[in-house]
Amino acid sequence: MKNMKRAAALAMASVTAISLVGCGGSSSTETTAAADTKAAGENGSAEGGNSGDISGDITFSWWGGDSRHEATEKAIEAFQTKYPSVTVSPEYGAWSGWEEKQSLNILGGNSADLMQINWNWIDSYSNNGTNFADLNQYADIIDLSQFPEDALAQCTVDGKLMAVPIAMTGRLFYWNKTTFDEVGCDIPTDEASLLEAGAKFKAYNEDYYPLALGEYDRAIFLVYYLESVYGKNWVENGELQYTEEEIQEGMDFITKLEENHVIPTIATIAGDMADSLDKNAKWINGVYAGIYEWDSSASKFQKAIVESTDKPNQEFVQGDFIKFGDYDGGFTKISMAFAISAKSEHPEAAAALMNYMLNDPEGIEIIGTERGIPCSAEALKVLDEKGLGNELVKAANAAVMAHNKFALDPKFEHNDLKANPDGVYYKVFSKLSAGDIDSAAAAKQLADGVNEVLGN
Amino acid sequence: MQNKSSFSKTLTENAGFLFIVPWLIGFLVFKVYPFASSLYYSFTNYDLFTGITKTGLMNYQKIFTDSDIIRAFAVTFKYAIFDVPLKLIFALFIAYILNFKLKGVNFFRTAYYIPSILGGSIAIAILWRAIFNTDGLINTVLGFFGVAKINWMAGANSALLVIILLRVWQFGSAMVIFLAALKGVSQDLYEAASIDGAGKWTQFFKITVPIITPVIFYNLITQLCQAFQEFNSPYLVTKGGPNGATTLISLLIYNNAFLRHKMGMASAQAWILFIIVMTLTAVAFISQKKWVYYSDEDGR
Repeated sequence: MKNMKRAAALAMASVTAISLVGCGGSSSTETTAAADTKAAGENGSAEGGNSGDISGDITFSWWGGDSRHEATEKAIEAFQTKYPSVTVSPEYGAWSGWEEKQSLNILGGNSADLMQINWNWIDSYSNNGTNFADLNQYADIIDLSQFPEDALAQCTVDGKLMAVPIAMTGRLFYWNKTTFDEVGCDIPTDEASLLEAGAKFKAYNEDYYPLALGEYDRAIFLVYYLESVYGKNWVENGELQYTEEEIQEGMDFITKLEENHVIPTIATIAGDMADSLDKNAKWINGVYAGIYEWDSSASKFQKAIVESTDKPNQEFVQGDFIKFGDYDGGFTKISMAFAISAKSEHPEAAAALMNYMLNDPEGIEIIGTERGIPCSAEALKVLDEKGLGNELVKAANAAVMAHNKFALDPKFEHNDLKANPDGVYYKVFSKLSAGDIDSAAAAKQLADGVNEVLGN
Repeated sequence: MQNKSSFSKTLTENAGFLFIVPWLIGFLVFKVYPFASSLYYSFTNYDLFTGITKTGLMNYQKIFTDSDIIRAFAVTFKYAIFDVPLKLIFALFIAYILNFKLKGVNFFRTAYYIPSILGGSIAIAILWRAIFNTDGLINTVLGFFGVAKINWMAGANSALLVIILLRVWQFGSAMVIFLAALKGVSQDLYEAASIDGAGKWTQFFKITVPIITPVIFYNLITQLCQAFQEFNSPYLVTKGGPNGATTLISLLIYNNAFLRHKMGMASAQAWILFIIVMTLTAVAFISQKKWVYYSDEDGR
């Protein structure tokens, strides 16, 4: 009896453990089952092309901040007034966790009819052109002639246009001039002035730094540095163009910036326990006085220091591209795009909404520069004519488009590299910063990680 | 008539089974099938977007050779080793205090239980960051005593301590179970011990602890299972950083499954985790012969 009781107890404990541990497995299976069911039950209705029937209930998903949500909701309202036979249900949220959710939705055939996507989603989630509709089929609804051909080419897979680019973006240096003035330091323009700024900030206050770079920022900064010195694309024709020795030189440079108090260590930034740099109290209060950021993100960083409670109205300025070599380093990329689900039952209505926001003067006016400086020539014309959009973002976009000429491979943002916290970029730069690996090992790990993603 | 009575008899005899049929169906569909299929996937390179292109032992080979994965398992062990005893001791200690007839004891019982209800929420993550960031509450308090700021996220051990403390703080459910067990200890035993001259500590270790060992055992098993599967605190508070110091295995499984869509690898890691939890549970069950007191039997 006693043994039976114990055996029963052990069995129940096993079941409990199975129930608890089995969570991972169940999720994968449910998702697969959902995908199979959906795939079996539906055929891509976009196959038939444009019927000219702009009507029906559609969903539209995007991520962003409050101002983008407000502008987009207003645009939807105006669109529905213009197209009364279309009803749009919005689905939106913050970026955090958005990609995980949407990637599973795309896989399961449950994605919104119209989606705001990141450029690398085309490579990661279009599944060779089967998950997103070919937008060439809706060319009579979407005015594709407004977009640069090379930008459209970057959104094309196997001759199918998977998405229409919304905006192009690149990284620039931005500085908190108020802090630089307090420290008594000039805004850096080259390596020497950057190192000098580190020394002056350290002397002013050990907690103050002229520039703050997280792990992913460092990956982009490394490429900027190497392109400036060597004048080569990071990746070309699916091949990494830099040797481990060359990458090591870049790693050594980043370590040098840490050692000279130009940038805080990764541990220092982690110790701030902030979700992102724009929400970090040290950025908000001017303790970190510089960033290397996308032009499309500038306004949120500016807003953070202007609206700081402890130190309001700090001055946010766009800096020059710091010279590290004979070349103008840096790349531009499509910041985001609109795609239509291949499973959409009303792709024409989704295409009409897309065109309304990208090319229709009414929609352009409402959206402004909430998704960056538009790629659409018509949108640019409307914004200029009406003096719309954030001037800082417009100036930054013009500067970065004129300066950054290197190409970016879409796999640069592959999840195996970019995922936080266990993507290659995060692991390599946090280990290098912590001193767990030296620059040679960091260069090797980065090169190996990139090559693995490239399939080499 | 006879058939009807035979049917009725069969029905009566199997009534218990019929009652659990709905649960059984759910168990088979939502637990056993995913459980079994995850075993199959663990031997494949199943990617949600590209499907299965390769089968074999590659996931298991990688688990036992990849330093980052080995580290995640090591960190999980370290986390459980410190978290489980700390939480049990703290829960028992508070339950013991709340078992006395104190003024406002019901308020304190509720107050101590609240953190368990809050669980792993965004609000708790924000609270924890506010407490442990370099300019946070703890460093501010330490500053009053002239102690220099501590960067809790700079060192592997201090970062792990941050998430261990978060779970220990959520001791309410274990405390309630201990409290119920303490209430069940006969007062006669304490009175007899007092007459024999036993002090409070002696009474606690010689009477209370032995009598509630079945409950300690139950809490140990459940806390062990939960500690090895802890996900919320590293996901919400530290994101597994710095430098993987708080990447527990469940976070790694999540990242593989939902960030990188590598379900094959995630399944293999989940299976290794399952084997670890099962082994430790079995060891705990075997060890109970030595230390768990079942009063309804022959003394042990």
